[in-house]
Amino acid sequence: MSVMPQLPKPLTERLLRLLRWRVWVQEKLQPTEWQITLLWAALAGFLGAMVSLLFTALTEGIHELLTGYDSGVVETMRQLPWWARVLVPAGGGLLAGLTLLLGRRITRGRSSTDYMEAIVIGTGELPVRASLVKSAAALFSIGSGGSIGREGPLVQLAAVVASAIGRWRKFSPPQLRLLVACGAAAGIASAYNAPIAGSFFVAEIILGTIAMESLGPLAVSAVVAALTMRVLTDAQQLYRVPEFHLHSPWEMGPYVVLGLLVGTLAPWFLRSLRRAEQWFMTTKLPPIARLVLGGIIVGDLAIFVPEVCGNGYTVVVDILNGKIFWEALILIFLAKWVATASSVGSGAPGGVFTPALFMGASAGYLFGTAVHHVWPQGAVDPQAFALVGMGAFLSAASYAPIMAVIMLFEMTLSYDIILPLMLCSVIAYYTAKGLEGQSLYSEALRRKSAETPQPEMPTGRVRDLMKVAPPQVKNTAPFAELARMFLSVRVNNIYVVSAGERFLGAVSLHDIKPYLGDADLASLVIASDVLREDFPRIGPDETLADALNGFLNRPIERLPVVDPATGKLLGSLAKTDLLLALVETTKKKTA
Amino acid sequence: MESPTELIAQPSAVLLDFSAASREAAIRTLHGSIQTAPGVRDAERFLFDLLERAMLSSVCIAPAIAMPHARTDSVDQVVFAAARLAEPGVAFDSEHPKVRLMFLIGTPRQHVDAYLQLVAALSRTLKADGVLAGLLSARNKEEFRGWLTRGVKA
Repeated sequence: MSVMPQLPKPLTERLLRLLRWRVWVQEKLQPTEWQITLLWAALAGFLGAMVSLLFTALTEGIHELLTGYDSGVVETMRQLPWWARVLVPAGGGLLAGLTLLLGRRITRGRSSTDYMEAIVIGTGELPVRASLVKSAAALFSIGSGGSIGREGPLVQLAAVVASAIGRWRKFSPPQLRLLVACGAAAGIASAYNAPIAGSFFVAEIILGTIAMESLGPLAVSAVVAALTMRVLTDAQQLYRVPEFHLHSPWEMGPYVVLGLLVGTLAPWFLRSLRRAEQWFMTTKLPPIARLVLGGIIVGDLAIFVPEVCGNGYTVVVDILNGKIFWEALILIFLAKWVATASSVGSGAPGGVFTPALFMGASAGYLFGTAVHHVWPQGAVDPQAFALVGMGAFLSAASYAPIMAVIMLFEMTLSYDIILPLMLCSVIAYYTAKGLEGQSLYSEALRRKSAETPQPEMPTGRVRDLMKVAPPQVKNTAPFAELARMFLSVRVNNIYVVSAGERFLGAVSLHDIKPYLGDADLASLVIASDVLREDFPRIGPDETLADALNGFLNRPIERLPVVDPATGKLLGSLAKTDLLLALVETTKKKTA
Repeated sequence: MESPTELIAQPSAVLLDFSAASREAAIRTLHGSIQTAPGVRDAERFLFDLLERAMLSSVCIAPAIAMPHARTDSVDQVVFAAARLAEPGVAFDSEHPKVRLMFLIGTPRQHVDAYLQLVAALSRTLKADGVLAGLLSARNKEEFRGWLTRGVKA
């Protein structure tokens, strides 16, 4: 005799009606797992933009608090007396150091907050408290005029928010890493108003792949972030530049030389930042004192060259619009180089992306001017060389020429420079790669990877990607329970287990769909009547390649993971997780 | 393979007005009438699967109607038999104490569709006007089959 509780018939019929509706909606508007991933990516994009706005506002607030001026960093420094030019960056270093020191008490000893590390060699988990402490310290470094970019911490914060969402939704490590990457793309898109470059930055530099499995969510996140910025602010292209033209094919010759020059300069620049870091370490000063010392060096330089303060954006705008003399630029270029090395070397939290753009713009403009003096037809417009130099320097420093070209185009919306920009970026990239084996980002990642004894990443076994407690019913479950389960979870197959938790097979929504209108059937049919015993399954210790075989030629999104010894259902493996893990594995092998 | 409606209209066996002391006895009797029918490869195993399924959960779809069924490896094709129990019927479970009509179904294990199609078609057949009453009052097997055919065509 049956021991299963039977639902009243009206309730069963109602459930079946609901299930019919669900199936209809699913068939018409069925979001796949990828589409759901895109929705989360969009949320990460929106929140990334909001975080970006908040961080920018806080930076400006701190700047005003420390200086009493609400203008840009360079303008403020020009107005401050000489002693204040030293005191403000030094004080900023002190406050940043104190924040980091006090922050240790609430960060539970977790110091690794780097989003790139979380994506490439971690699980995608970013500690919120430690990241907030680091960002708070960055507010002081940046707000006080440190020669450092605010985009780095901003991107970091956007990634932290994405990580928090993913952990809240209990994403698997590959999904979480992808969501953090989406957050980072949103941060870059917000900071530079460059959604395409934001996507490609993360895809090319961090993920190392432009496969659609990852690029699609990145693009959605970046677009939503850029759109949010455009709706909430008057964000336009970052650098407003005059129209540039390639006056004659002969100009390509100097551009080739510029590529070689910048490709040589970028590794020197990166090396100087590392040397500065080493030098500060050799001083044996405590971290706070190093930050103060870094601030004093920047401040001293600012007495004579206030343009060294900040990320270099103002100077780049002046260069691109011909508002700066080349004689002055030589001094600014050298002073800014030293200032950036001091800020970065002293450990000031911040980024070097925008300072790198400054280096490229300055080098390009100075080179273009020199060529113009010697051979006017070879460099009709030195400002165009500045623009191309920015892209080339970025390409050489980041080892991401596609991103560099796209970013320059997006930041300036100047299509006329695309030919020399592409050529110069590629030449700079190959030149830099030939001279130096590491980019702006690979060095940090390599170092962190070496410091991480047992990185938590998929080891290539099903167990690592398995999700526990998949939707399942007992083999005696009545049709109404199946209907309830299909309504409550968005799956096409529900696993069926015996009373002893042994995996028996799966009930397919596809099989029962035509009979959802039959209430008599609902009172008669139980899970074991409609389960498919030949449903594919996989063991927890099988490889990802075996798992891929399990998915081949089968229209299923998940594979049940079954203990081969006991036959018990342990969990399920999602195809999306598998594909993301395989993309990552492939990328690591080719790196 | 025969369609569900063809199977219902032409059961492999029809038994009328037999008595059984219990659900198990009723199933055994009807199963006995088709154990040599085409498609039945292992009659004993088929019976075991039928009884096992009846133990798991109710096989009744109405107060007087039971559909003992099994998806089993012991049949190569869908088999179907029908029976009417003598008054007052037999108790299948507490909610179905007087079952008069029995429809026995065996489907190959991998044919989930075939099983559902047959059960759904049978359910519709029995709901057709006058069919249930006709089956309960049929005077012989031909009349009984006739009502099934009428129900299928309704």
